[in-house]
Amino acid sequence: MGSSYDAVIVGAGHNGLICAAYLAKAGRKVLVLERRHVVGGAAVSEEVFPGFTFSVLSYVVSLFRPSIIRELDLPRHGLEIIPLETAFTPQRDGPGLCRWPDASESRREISRFSQKDAEIYPEFSATMTQVSRFAKNIIDSQAPDPSSLRPQELMALLRLGRSFRAGEHGSLDLQAKLFTMSAVDFLDRWFESDVLKAPMSVSGIIGTYLGVRSPGTAYVLLHHYMGEIDGAFRSWGLSKGGTGGISLACARAAEAHGATIRTEASVESILIKGGKAHGVVLENGDEIQARTVISCCDPRRTFLGLVGEESLEGDFVQRINRYKFRGSSGKVNLAVDRLPQFRERSGSAHLRGDVAIAPSIDYLERAYDEAKYGEFSRRPYINVVVPSLMDPSVAPPGKHVISCFVQYAPYHLKEGPEKWPEKREAFGDTVVDTLAEYCPGFKESILHRQVITPWDMEHEFGLSEGNIFQGELSLEQLLFQRPAAGWSRYRTPIQHLWMCGSGTHPGGGIMGASGQLAARSILESRQL
Amino acid sequence: MPIPTPFHSRTSRLCTSMQWKEWAGYYSVCSYGTSHDPEYFAIRHAAGLIDVSPLFKYEVRGPDAASFLSRVTVKDVRKLKMGRVTYLCWCDDHGKVVDDGTVSRLGDEHFRVTAAEPSLSWFDRLRRGYDVEIEDSSARIGVLALQGPTSRDILAQLTDAELGEIKFFATRRCRLAGVDAWISRTGYTGDLGYEIWVDAAGAETVYDALIEEGRAYGIMPAGLDALDTSRIEASFIMNGVDYYSAHHCLIEDRKSSPYELGLGWTVQLDREPFVGHAALKRELETGSRRRFVGLDIDWEEVESLFDRYGLPPELPTSAWRDSRPIYDSSGDWIGQASSGVWSPTLKKNFALGQVPREHSQPGEKLLFEVTAEYRRHKVSATVVETPFFNPERKRS
Amino acid sequence: MSSQWDVAVIGAGHNGLTAATYLAKRGRSVVLLERRDRVGGVAASEEFSPGYRTAGVVHETATLRPWAVEELGLSQQGLVKRAEASPILIPTETGPGYVHWRDSDRAADEISQHSSVDAERYREFRSFVARLSPVLRKVFDEPLADLEALDMSDLWDLGRKAVALRLLGKGDMMELFRIVPMCVGDWLREWFEAEIVSTALAAPALAHGMVGPWSPGTNLNLLLHEALFYEEISGGPAALVSALEKAAVAAGVEIRTEAEVTAIDFEGDGVSGVVLSDGERIGARQVAASCDPKALFLELIPAHYLAAEFEREIALFRTRGIAAKIDLALSGYPVFSCRPDVQLSRVRTGTNLNHVERSFDAVKYRQMSDEPTLDLFVPTVDNPDLAPSGHHVVSILVQWVPYELEGGWNEGQKNELLERTLATLDRYASGIRDLTVGHRVLSPVDLESAYGVSGGHLLHGEHAADQLLTRPVGGCTGYTTPFQGLYLCGSGSHPGGGMTCAPGAFAARKILRDRN
Repeated sequence: MGSSYDAVIVGAGHNGLICAAYLAKAGRKVLVLERRHVVGGAAVSEEVFPGFTFSVLSYVVSLFRPSIIRELDLPRHGLEIIPLETAFTPQRDGPGLCRWPDASESRREISRFSQKDAEIYPEFSATMTQVSRFAKNIIDSQAPDPSSLRPQELMALLRLGRSFRAGEHGSLDLQAKLFTMSAVDFLDRWFESDVLKAPMSVSGIIGTYLGVRSPGTAYVLLHHYMGEIDGAFRSWGLSKGGTGGISLACARAAEAHGATIRTEASVESILIKGGKAHGVVLENGDEIQARTVISCCDPRRTFLGLVGEESLEGDFVQRINRYKFRGSSGKVNLAVDRLPQFRERSGSAHLRGDVAIAPSIDYLERAYDEAKYGEFSRRPYINVVVPSLMDPSVAPPGKHVISCFVQYAPYHLKEGPEKWPEKREAFGDTVVDTLAEYCPGFKESILHRQVITPWDMEHEFGLSEGNIFQGELSLEQLLFQRPAAGWSRYRTPIQHLWMCGSGTHPGGGIMGASGQLAARSILESRQL
Repeated sequence: MPIPTPFHSRTSRLCTSMQWKEWAGYYSVCSYGTSHDPEYFAIRHAAGLIDVSPLFKYEVRGPDAASFLSRVTVKDVRKLKMGRVTYLCWCDDHGKVVDDGTVSRLGDEHFRVTAAEPSLSWFDRLRRGYDVEIEDSSARIGVLALQGPTSRDILAQLTDAELGEIKFFATRRCRLAGVDAWISRTGYTGDLGYEIWVDAAGAETVYDALIEEGRAYGIMPAGLDALDTSRIEASFIMNGVDYYSAHHCLIEDRKSSPYELGLGWTVQLDREPFVGHAALKRELETGSRRRFVGLDIDWEEVESLFDRYGLPPELPTSAWRDSRPIYDSSGDWIGQASSGVWSPTLKKNFALGQVPREHSQPGEKLLFEVTAEYRRHKVSATVVETPFFNPERKRS
Repeated sequence: MSSQWDVAVIGAGHNGLTAATYLAKRGRSVVLLERRDRVGGVAASEEFSPGYRTAGVVHETATLRPWAVEELGLSQQGLVKRAEASPILIPTETGPGYVHWRDSDRAADEISQHSSVDAERYREFRSFVARLSPVLRKVFDEPLADLEALDMSDLWDLGRKAVALRLLGKGDMMELFRIVPMCVGDWLREWFEAEIVSTALAAPALAHGMVGPWSPGTNLNLLLHEALFYEEISGGPAALVSALEKAAVAAGVEIRTEAEVTAIDFEGDGVSGVVLSDGERIGARQVAASCDPKALFLELIPAHYLAAEFEREIALFRTRGIAAKIDLALSGYPVFSCRPDVQLSRVRTGTNLNHVERSFDAVKYRQMSDEPTLDLFVPTVDNPDLAPSGHHVVSILVQWVPYELEGGWNEGQKNELLERTLATLDRYASGIRDLTVGHRVLSPVDLESAYGVSGGHLLHGEHAADQLLTRPVGGCTGYTTPFQGLYLCGSGSHPGGGMTCAPGAFAARKILRDRN
C-alpha cells in the first residue's frame, strides 16, 4: 500500500523486538507485525482473570543477555528482574530439600539426605561455573562454520577449540562428558542422593523430548551456571509484571528508536520475486514493501508457511522437514486464595524461588516413558513458581498466582495431536492432583485455572508442535546446524529474507541472543 | 542462617557486644565486649575461653585407620603413638594443600581428625580398600580452647587427670567437672593452653564449671578477633585466608604446596605412596616457587607517612585478612600478604604472606602497601623469622 | 623362584592372545596367564549341557580386523571366513517375518514385502554408509591420540583425520555431524518407512548399552558397527579363538591356564612382574593386562598406589552389565511360525522400535524386561559337531537384564529370566519348550564371576561416546598406564569391545615401541 520499510519483522516475540530495536537504533526504518493482540509471543503477560496477571507461557528469565539490557538500556524502558532465591524440592512424606542462597544452610539441608553430597555440592558448582565459561562464548557469538576453509572461520574454530581446552587438566574430558552423557549419569559422578540429583537433572530436559537418563542431556546443566544476573544462586529471575514485561521493555526500546509495531496484523505470506524477498502480504490483503524481511517465526512456519515450498530447493525443504519440534511440555496457570502449604514447611521463604516436583530420578524417568509412547505423564515433572510472592502487582492483595510448567505433555499423542483439546481438562486435573499430593488442601485454594497444551501453543502462539524453543535443543540441531547446516547465520536461501527467532543459533529460552546476533549479522551484511 | 553451637546458651548470654559472625555454619562470637583487647590480653596473661566447636571433626575407626590416614595425609600416621596429637596437612594428587588440621590417636584403631572445611566426601573418596569407618562428629562434640598462662591451674581444679602428663601435643581422656572429656595440650594461640572435647550433652556443665573456677585465675570468654590476633602472632596459617584449598581454586596459581606454606616439615616422603607423593617428591627436588614468610613492616616509616598528612598512624583495630600486595625493593609486584596484625604484645606491625623463594630469606628487604589518607604508598618490610611470638610456656 | 620374561600378558581372551602373539612374533619372550582352565575368555567354546557346546558367549565376529588376520597369519591356522554376512531372521507373530540381508541386492525382495520404497532406500543407505565408513575407520581402526597430551605426531595424525573428514565433501561431512549425536530411531525413520527394517538395523547399536533406540548418541554406535563390519568367521568366536591360540603357540608364547594373577608386582616407579594366587611371582619387564580396566586398577593394584583422581575416574568408568546369556540345548531347530522352513544361524527379536524401547525401559528401574530383546546364534547350523546329531545349540544374548537387579540375583530370578525368554521365543516359535533338553542361564553377575568382567559388561565398559573417545579414562587412553611398564591391551581400551582384536594389536605396537 505504498508504505515501504528498510525491514519488516514478522512476529513480535522478544527476539523480533530485540532485532527491531537494534536495527532501529542503527537508523533503519523498521516495522514489526504481530498476529496477536499483544506483543511478546511466548514471553507475554496477560490478565487472564480479573486481577490476576499470568506469565502465560515462558515464566522465568535465566540467560537473558546482559549486553542486551545494557545496549538497549532496557531498565529505562521498564525492565525489572527479581532474582529467584531458592530451589525447593518437596516430598510427599517429608519436608523435602530446599537449596538456599546461604551455602551453610544448603549444606545442612542436603546433609539430611547425604552428607557427602552436601560437601560436594559447592565443589560441583565451582567446576561447572569454570566449565561454563566456554559455553558462554558459544551463546555470545555466531555459530562456527566447520565446512568453511576461510581463514577467519578456521581461526574462529581454533578459538572455540582453545576455549574448550582452557582450564584445568582433565577439563577436556569433562567437556566431552558434558556433551554426550545423560544428566543422571553425569550427576552420578558426584552425587548419591536422589532428592538432590532429580531436581538438578531436570534442567537437562526442559523443553526436550528426552528423559533425564537420555544421553546428551548433561550439557544443559551448564546453563544453570551461566546465569549472569548476579552470580551463582541468582541465575534465575522473574520479570516484574510477568514475563511480558521483558517484551514490553524491548518494544518500548524499539519504538523509542523509531520502530513501528503493529498488533493484530497477521502475515499471510512473504513476497518473493526472483529469489528475493521484498515484502509481506497480510491476511487482509495489504502488501507491505521492505528491503528485507526478517522472520521471528520458527523455521517450519517461516519456510513451509510464509515462503512456501515452491520457492525453495527440495534439499532445503527436506532439511526443514527433518528439523524436529516434538513439543513435550504444557503450562497450567492458577489463581489461588492462599499460598500452597507444603508438608513440614512453614512460612514462605522456601517458595521464593522455584519449586520442582521431581522427587526422584525414577519418577522423572517414568514420566518420560509415558510420553515416549504418546501419553501425557500421569505424574509429571512440574516446575512451580509463585511470582506474586515477590511481585505483588500480579495478584489482588493476599491472593496469589501460581505458574506450573509441566512436562511431559507430548504434542504427539498416540491418538494424534488433534485430540489435545479433548484432553485439556484431564491434563489440568493431573497437574492439580499431583500438586495436591504435596500440598494438602491445595485444590480448595484454587480460584481459577488456565490450561495450555502443546496444541494450544501451536494454534494460539504459533509454536510448531508446541515446542517452546522453536525446535528441539538436541545436539544435532544446535550451533551450525540450527536450523539447518549452512543456514545457521540468520540468512536463508531467499535473498533479503532473514531469521531471528529461537529456531536459530543459539536458540531457546528468553536469551534474546538470536535477535541480537541476527540484527548484527543483517547490519554487517550491508543489505540494509 | 547459622545455627548455635553446644555452648550457645552460655556464649550468647556473655556476648554483650552482639558482635557475631558465621563460622562453618555456626554462630560465633567475634568479641564479647565492644573491644576484643581485654580478651586478647586474657589469653596472653591469664586465660581465654574460646568456643571452637565449629571445627570439623571426624572419627576414623577400624583396623586400617592408621594406614588409611597415612594415605590421605602427608604424614606416616601409623607412627603416631596412642595419646599423641600431630599437626599435618593433606594434599590433592598434584601435591597442593587441600586442608590442614590435627590428628589425635585416641585408641589403637581410633583417630580423630580436625579440619577447617567439610572433608567427609574427600576422605570417603579415598577409603576404597581400607577397613575403616568414618564418622563426622562435628555436631556431636563441643570444643573449647582454654588458652593462656593460667589455663593449667584452672583445669587442675576441675579434673582428675594428671595434667603434668598431658605434655605438648598429647591428649588424655578424663573426667572434667564430672563430665567425660578428652583434654589435649594443643591450641591455636601459640601460648600455654588446652583444648577440651566434650559430648554436646555435657557442654554446658563444662562451660559453667570453667567460668566459675576460672574466675580466680582471670578467665575471660574470648572471641574470634582475639584468637585471630593470637594466631598471627604465633604465625599459624589459616585455610581460606592464608591459602585456599586446592579443591576450591579455579586456577593453578592459587593453589599452594605444603612447602610453599611452611608446612614442609610435616611431609614424610620416605614411605609408601600417599596422595600427592610423586608431586611433592618432584617439588622437593626441583624446589618450590614460593615461600611463606613473616614480614615486619617498618613502623617508623608508617608513622612518618601519616605524619606527612598531619595524622597519627591509623591502624586497623583488629587483625586484617584482605590480601595486600608485596613488592620487591625496586617496586615490582612479587606476592601478597594474606593476613596481618599490629601485635599488642610485641608492639610491631606484622604480616604473613607468600613471596618467591629468592625473596624469602630472613633479612630480605621488601616493600609493603599501606594506604594513608586515601593514597597508596609503599613502606619497607623485612622478612623475619616466625613465629613472631614464641614464649617458653607454649611448649611447657 | 621368580622367572624372568620380557612381557607377561594377563588374560587369554582374544585380545590377550593377540597382544601376546604380536609380541612373540617380534622376538619377545611372552608368558600369557589365564585364570580359567582354557583360553578364549568370552569367545571360548564351553560345554554347558552334556554333549552340547557353545561357540562363545558372544556372537558377532564380523568386526575382526582384516589386517590383524593378515599380520597374525590366522588363515594359516585354520581361520575360515564366511562368503557373505549371515542373514538374520526377525520373526513376527503374524505376517511373513523379515530376513535381514546386509547386501542390498539380496535384501531387496525381503524388504519389498514390507515396503515398496524401502528396498531402494536401503541401497542408498548402504552406499551412504559406505561413503562415511573410511572416515570412521580413521578414528576407530587406528590408535587414538591422547587429546589431553598431544605431541607433534599426534597433531599430524589428527590433521590426517581432519583431511579425511574434509575429503568427504561438504554435504556428507555436514550430514555426518548431524547424524552422529542422533538416536538410531530418529535417523533410521528418516530412511525407512518399514519399522522392521529400522529395528533390524538398529540392533547392533544397542547391544550391551544402557540405551534404547530413542537414546541420543546411539547412531555413533551404529555407524561404528557398520564401518568396522567386514567378514564373519565361520564357526563363530570359538573358531577365532582356536586360530589365535594356534598362532600364539606357533609364535612361541607360553600359555599358562589356571594361573590367576592376584597382584601386580612393583619395583620403584615401575612394574617388575605379577603375583599369582598361589603366591608364585612371575618376573617381567613389561606387563600387559587384557582384563578390564576396573579389574586391573581396582583389584590388582593397592589403592595407595593410585592417584586419587585417577582412581575415581576408573571407579566411575561405566560397566553396567545389561545382558544375560542363556544357552539352550534343543532336540531340533525351532520352527518359527512366520518362516517354518527357514533354518538360519542368526535370529533377533524386536519388530518395531517401540517394542525394543519398552524392552529397554525396565532396566532403568533395575528390573529385567517383561519381554526381553533376544539375539540368537545357532552355531550348529554351520557346525553340527557342537551337539548330538540333529540337535541344536541356541546361544541367546538377552537384553535388557540389569546387573543391579532389584533384590539381587538368585536362582529364582534366573528361572524367571529363563521363563520370560522362553515365553518371548514361544510367541514366534511355539513348541520351543518341548524341544529344550538342557539349558544354562548366566546372569550379568554370573558373567562377572565366570569371566572376570567388571559389572558383567562383556565389552569391558559401555560404548558411550565419552567412553569411546577417551577409553577407558584420561591418563591411560593410549594403552599406557600411570605405571611404567604396565599396559592395557583389552576391550577397555580404544577402539573398544567386540571381536576386533584391535586393542591387543595396538597395545602390542605401543609396548614394542616403548621397549625399543
